[in-house]
Amino acid sequence: MARVTRRALLKGAAALGAAAAVAQVPDIARAQTTGKRELVWAQGGDISKFDPHFSTSANDIRISFNLYDNLVSRHPDQKLYPGLATEWKLEGQTTWRFKLRQGVKWHNGDPFTSADAKWSLERTYDPSVKARVNTVFTTIDRIEAPDATTLVIHTKKPDPLLPQRLAFYGGQIVPMKYVQKVGNDEFNSKPVGTGPIKFVSWTKDDKIVMDANKDYWGGKPDFDRMIVRAVPEMAPRVAALLKGEVDIITQLPPDQGERVNGHPSTRVAGALYAGLYVLAVNSKVKPLDNPLVKQALALAIDRDAIVKELWRGRGIVPSGPIAKGDNHFDASLPPLAYNPKEARERLRKAGYKNEEVVIETTSGYMANDKPMAEAIQGMWRDVGINAKVEIVEYSVRAQKNRDKSFKGCWWSDPTSTLGDPDGMMWRLLGPGGPQDYWRHAEWDELGNAARFSVDEKFRGEAYKKMTRIVLEHFPWIPVIQPYEDYGLQKYVDWTPNPNQQFEIRRFAFKFKRA
Amino acid sequence: MSALFTFLGTRFVRALVALWLVSTVVFVVMRLSGDPVPLLLPPDAPRAEIFRVRAELGLDRPILVQYGVFLGNVLAGDFGRSIHFREPAMRVVASYLPATVELGLAAFALAALVALPIGVVSAVKRNSLLDHMAMSLALVGQAAPTFFLGILFILLISLKAGLVPTSGRGTWMHLVLPALTLGAFAMASIARLTRSAVLEALGMDYVRTARAKGLAEIWVVAKHTLRNAALPIVTITGLQFGTLLGGAVVTETVFAWPGIGRLAIQSIYNRDYPVVQAAVFLSAVMFIILNFVIDVIYGVLDPRVRAR
Repeated sequence: MARVTRRALLKGAAALGAAAAVAQVPDIARAQTTGKRELVWAQGGDISKFDPHFSTSANDIRISFNLYDNLVSRHPDQKLYPGLATEWKLEGQTTWRFKLRQGVKWHNGDPFTSADAKWSLERTYDPSVKARVNTVFTTIDRIEAPDATTLVIHTKKPDPLLPQRLAFYGGQIVPMKYVQKVGNDEFNSKPVGTGPIKFVSWTKDDKIVMDANKDYWGGKPDFDRMIVRAVPEMAPRVAALLKGEVDIITQLPPDQGERVNGHPSTRVAGALYAGLYVLAVNSKVKPLDNPLVKQALALAIDRDAIVKELWRGRGIVPSGPIAKGDNHFDASLPPLAYNPKEARERLRKAGYKNEEVVIETTSGYMANDKPMAEAIQGMWRDVGINAKVEIVEYSVRAQKNRDKSFKGCWWSDPTSTLGDPDGMMWRLLGPGGPQDYWRHAEWDELGNAARFSVDEKFRGEAYKKMTRIVLEHFPWIPVIQPYEDYGLQKYVDWTPNPNQQFEIRRFAFKFKRA
Repeated sequence: MSALFTFLGTRFVRALVALWLVSTVVFVVMRLSGDPVPLLLPPDAPRAEIFRVRAELGLDRPILVQYGVFLGNVLAGDFGRSIHFREPAMRVVASYLPATVELGLAAFALAALVALPIGVVSAVKRNSLLDHMAMSLALVGQAAPTFFLGILFILLISLKAGLVPTSGRGTWMHLVLPALTLGAFAMASIARLTRSAVLEALGMDYVRTARAKGLAEIWVVAKHTLRNAALPIVTITGLQFGTLLGGAVVTETVFAWPGIGRLAIQSIYNRDYPVVQAAVFLSAVMFIILNFVIDVIYGVLDPRVRAR
């Protein structure tokens, strides 16, 4: 048997000590500023595609909104700014004229022109392309490109939200010549855009490497290279941040906030989610076809407790179906009330006969989905509702979503894609929408009128009335508007965008330099 | 010579049958598990759109027709295109192979190099302090959930001690923790089995004879015991190797390691039939080859197997 000599043991110990000492150096050197030229960030899953017209998932759009530009750009303050279009105006009711930016080049050196913009938008709804964003621009009738820097879009009916639509998914402009030359598949694997980052390589489920676009019209971003890692588990993702391996992590759960803020070199940055977490309701089944029962369900939820206990205060109690920060959000409405006594009273009035109310929840698809479902089950039982929680896997949820076969209530996290109720409650709850389980003639009429009116005052009044109707019938029971938190190194100066865009352009991202 | 051909021939036919069975089971199970289309489209996609995509993917055809097309394509080496990635499925799976093999080999090497000597020493010095310590540790290694072990390693070895990166793939330093985590179970089971196999052989008459004729203990163990104890050890080690190569979902997920296990699970969630089929097929092929190698090693080690 080999004997471990004392000398060997000492040598080994010395080597270990040295290794530990070396590892400690960055800890000391790490400060509030950096000389880094490489931005590394980690998200909870890998992307699936680079072609922006073939995906709307959060992981994908964090990349695609930086690889490509939109005509209109939505900044973290949620306002619209010039993108590839420098100005735009509505002529009459249905004609939008866009002035395009001059001198912009694609990553492969080709010049960007109005022909690219026209072709790109038409590509989203061209049936032969089979794009996944083919419902975004259904209001467009035809597009003209009279000269290289002018784009004219005619809508079928007045569309007050066309600039907003152009700012979100589907609106990323792709290079006509390049895509026509190499085809959709090759474009997807070797993407070319006009954005601040250029594609270098993608190793699936590992990392994406991008170089800064030195010639970017909005200024070269504050790094030479960007690496995006896919780290699915939360604990290793947080560990990678605390150890200084990554500069930013996404999807930081509320209970990790203290740990990140408590570490000397990291901090939490959050943005109030541009959307809501709601329990969507199948109003076609008993007893949920009775508005009184749904009112009772809403009144029985202690939202303050949910915000405080499950979210560590990282959220606000909604006042209705419109997210705070959106157009036409009514700041005068009070937060939804918690009143168990009144809930019991309304159940009595409704003649509730202990019918089962099922909450179908995923576990971990949305932050806190299962814990919130269980908490709400308890609250509902306290007022005498026969509540039951059923756990479904994400793909089962997607299937139920398609078949419209939810049994009672289920979690939904509607994103406000346009910063306007039209892109949220009307998109989802409207006739034929994915959550069409409830109809109300007046509400439908108002939603339709508001969609096709360019009179913002009229629209505001319509959404006020629609909100009142929702708060009586509760096709959605809003629960919380959470913060979406990110973990950052303190030397990173970055403003998160509420709508899951991951903005790395100069106006939103900088390294703090010594 | 003809015996060898018969041996190889039977093996080959059996391998083909196994591959066919595996492919069919996966084909059926995946189609029972649900429809990929709702996962591909945004939640507000209209119904017409859903039917259009179903037709595009050939999912509207009768299942027997789909199966026939599938088998025909597989024979031609074509596993179809990934629904999720829009690339040939086998190309997707193959791009995950290097990472899987790298981790599998490292974990296996670590497991075998540590476990085999420990098992032998534990058997030779049975009931010593060393034996008790090694076997208790092995029990922990077998019992501790991979998930727990992985996170523990990240927190202690990476975050606290700062010795290696927390996750991801890159340098050999990135390989240390995942290999250790993945190897732990294999290490423990190989060590325990080696110990009992060696113990059994040590109790045999021929060992007593070897000792009686005055052979040094080291030769008794190395020459007379190990060779006879080798059969079960080779079996378990080989199977462990196959398992390690098949991808390790939990380890890969914890360490953000881009391996086949994770790909397969993600593809199941995405109902990406072609990728799941390609991944399972590839794993099955690797297992079958490995089994074949084990059989050959049997023959080398034990003349009685060759004779049969």
